[in-house]
Amino acid sequence: MTWQLTRQGRGFMRRPPLRNSFYLVPALVLLGALVYFSVFYTMWLSTHEWDGFGPNPLFVGADNYAKVFGDAVYWKSVLNVAGFLLLILLQMAYGLLMAVALHGRVVLGVVYRIALFVPVVLAPAVMAPAFREIFSPDGQFNQALEAVGLGALRHAWLADPDTAIFAIAVIAIWSGTGFSFILYYAALTQVDPRVFEAARVDGAGRLRTLWSITIPLMSRTHLTYLVLGTIATIKLFDIPQIITGGGPANSTQFPATYIYRAGVVNFNAGYGAAMTVVMVVICLILAVAQLRLGTRAERNGF
Amino acid sequence: MRTIRTGWNQLLVTLAVAPFVIPLAVMVGRSVGGEGFLRNYGAVLNRPEMLTFLRNSVVIAAGTVAVTFVCTMLASYALAKLPLRGREVAFYLIVAALTLPSAALTVPLFINVRNLGLYDTPWAVILPIAALQTAFGVFLARGFMAGIPDETIDAARVDGANSFRVFWYIVLPLSRPVAAVVIVWTFVSAWNEYLLPLLFLQEVDQQTVTLLPSYFVGQFQADQPKVFAATVLIALPTVICYIAFSRFFERGIMAGSIK
Repeated sequence: MTWQLTRQGRGFMRRPPLRNSFYLVPALVLLGALVYFSVFYTMWLSTHEWDGFGPNPLFVGADNYAKVFGDAVYWKSVLNVAGFLLLILLQMAYGLLMAVALHGRVVLGVVYRIALFVPVVLAPAVMAPAFREIFSPDGQFNQALEAVGLGALRHAWLADPDTAIFAIAVIAIWSGTGFSFILYYAALTQVDPRVFEAARVDGAGRLRTLWSITIPLMSRTHLTYLVLGTIATIKLFDIPQIITGGGPANSTQFPATYIYRAGVVNFNAGYGAAMTVVMVVICLILAVAQLRLGTRAERNGF
Repeated sequence: MRTIRTGWNQLLVTLAVAPFVIPLAVMVGRSVGGEGFLRNYGAVLNRPEMLTFLRNSVVIAAGTVAVTFVCTMLASYALAKLPLRGREVAFYLIVAALTLPSAALTVPLFINVRNLGLYDTPWAVILPIAALQTAFGVFLARGFMAGIPDETIDAARVDGANSFRVFWYIVLPLSRPVAAVVIVWTFVSAWNEYLLPLLFLQEVDQQTVTLLPSYFVGQFQADQPKVFAATVLIALPTVICYIAFSRFFERGIMAGSIK
């Protein structure tokens, strides 16, 4: 680098000047004042009992944490998130297959691309009335089941604690798959077409090409979506909150919705804070595991 | 032979995409039922709240995009291209915020917003969303900027440009694709935000479009088609924004994430 040769430049390299850090100031101030303040405040609050309004939070030590570990609904919500993490793989498979298909000869491909991605930019608050109707007892979902001869499965999907979670899963897949699709589609555009040409010349069929060439070539994209999908799943709030409110019988409760219910709706700010801390710790463990996995995969040339 | 295979491909793709269109078809279809397209949409547009809520959402989305854009681009430039003390720590401090759901931080955010005197003002929503969006923006933009060749920057430095001129005249123009992603994504997130306006904007004349569906359920009672007409109108800006930027968006998201 040229500027290292100047006198000033050498100083620049030996000890990076403080003024370079000024570029970080707006971002760090914003995040510090809002996010990190909130994190530390939450840690402090988690050892107190407070309704969110009164003047004096009462110190209760580890009581809130003890309660978290014995709270069946909380662990149910963690279980729901764990289950939804598996949906990420489904979204990846669906997105990848659609990306491969739409890279082939398809008339009006751009329309299909937009149709797949538009759900991603639509707010759950906006879609909620439509989904409530679709999953209602005489909604379109039941009509579709009837039409394909599965009328026996007709059901009040959102009203039954055993099935509401499936409806939420369908909605989550609907709104997330477009993102995985767009990542794979963009990544495929970057691959030299001669790679696929060579595979075809060597006699590889479509499945073989997909399995042995496309999937390994997309390794960075798998990792990107795995990370972003995990984050989105852990934060899942709007869809269950607006469509089922965590019910019926807490069957569609997720950590974010349950923490909100406890901390804000039920005026139990300290308990909500303790649940947040437990959730963040679980996330940190997950993040470290994912990073390890990512670097190991990279080292192995995957 | 080739045509037959293409035909199959087309059919399969159509079947696979259809489920994604159904909810939209239901929404649009219901919005023209009852009293019909003109009367439903007319009734919704004639409600004075509609324009107020729309205006508030525009203000909040624009403010969030501006704050996020400035914070993201400056920080990403320093993290990608400048010698920096504690570069890794700063990067992880910013990006770690990605994992925090605002729903879990509402109590401290509320205290913060109230102490700053921002309750019931657009800033109560703009600043928290911008903070969380900056995390995502830096995650994308740093990767993209790292891909800008050092030689381009060195050439400018030889000509005597200081680090800000390099940013303004070289890095920022070259980062247009990822800037498009940051802008579109921030706009969509701010427009679609539901919880923060619900909690921090109590006055009806401050509220945003995501609160409209439930508000109109109260106003129009059993007249569901009008509620659906409102949801279609609220959804349009994000869809138009995405379609307008979709080419940039696909390029930028690729370049940003895969570094």
